[in-house]
Amino acid sequence: MSDTAGQGSLLDELPGDLMMWVLIISELLVFGAGLAAFLALRLTDPVGFAEAQDHLHRTGAALNTVVLVTSGFLAAKAFQWRGLGARLKARLALVVAALLGVVFLIIKGAEYADKAAKGIDFETHPFFLFYYMLTGFHAAHVVAGVVILCLIAWKDSLRNIEVGAAFWHMVDLVWVLLFPVIYLLA
Amino acid sequence: MLRDPLNKAWFALVALSGASAVVAELAIGGLDRRVVGAVVLLLALMKARVILSRYLGLAEAPSWRRGFNLVLTLFCLLLLGLYLIPALIS
Repeated sequence: MSDTAGQGSLLDELPGDLMMWVLIISELLVFGAGLAAFLALRLTDPVGFAEAQDHLHRTGAALNTVVLVTSGFLAAKAFQWRGLGARLKARLALVVAALLGVVFLIIKGAEYADKAAKGIDFETHPFFLFYYMLTGFHAAHVVAGVVILCLIAWKDSLRNIEVGAAFWHMVDLVWVLLFPVIYLLA
Repeated sequence: MLRDPLNKAWFALVALSGASAVVAELAIGGLDRRVVGAVVLLLALMKARVILSRYLGLAEAPSWRRGFNLVLTLFCLLLLGLYLIPALIS
């Protein structure tokens, strides 16, 4: 009985919605497995992986990191401001956060377009299979996040903002782990 | 301005991102790639910890924060190990 009560209090300690944390942990596990598999596959051809990585735009990806962490900052501020009753400020922060999500997608799209122009696709090298799979899956989460940010800017209850912003922070968290492994670890 | 933990977190994340870019450039300049790999992953771990603590609010849940930090640290060590194997066997 006391164990159950203890577990309850530990779960109660978690900020926000429990199901959102289940989602965050699930996504981290999926992307974590993908990144580990990527580096494990690299063992078979480290030189080929390094050569393939030289085709990536590190500057654009680094810029995207700043764009995403700034967007996450605005989503976190929106929750703080909504809690203080500054509703308009919170909504504006969410809209700007969503726009920064769109900026991320534009930079990512330009990167994909450049690869396509050079004839680089999934089959060019195993590196690019993982590159497209992991960054593409992440970009799909960014699209979902932009939609969610717009929804919570519209339906702006404190709980909605907390849950929606948590999803966006998860997207941010995945990117800060994905970026160095795919773009920097040659 | 830096009294707000969220503002501090944002500055820290931007600074850590800049540091990652600088370290990656040093690798192109000839710095030992094993050192670069370790530093880049350490910086990524630090960014992840800031996001979990400040953006996701785990600073208010120390037990969970410790758990997440432990798992993330082990995961980054796994990545570092996988990254270093080719350099160690060549």
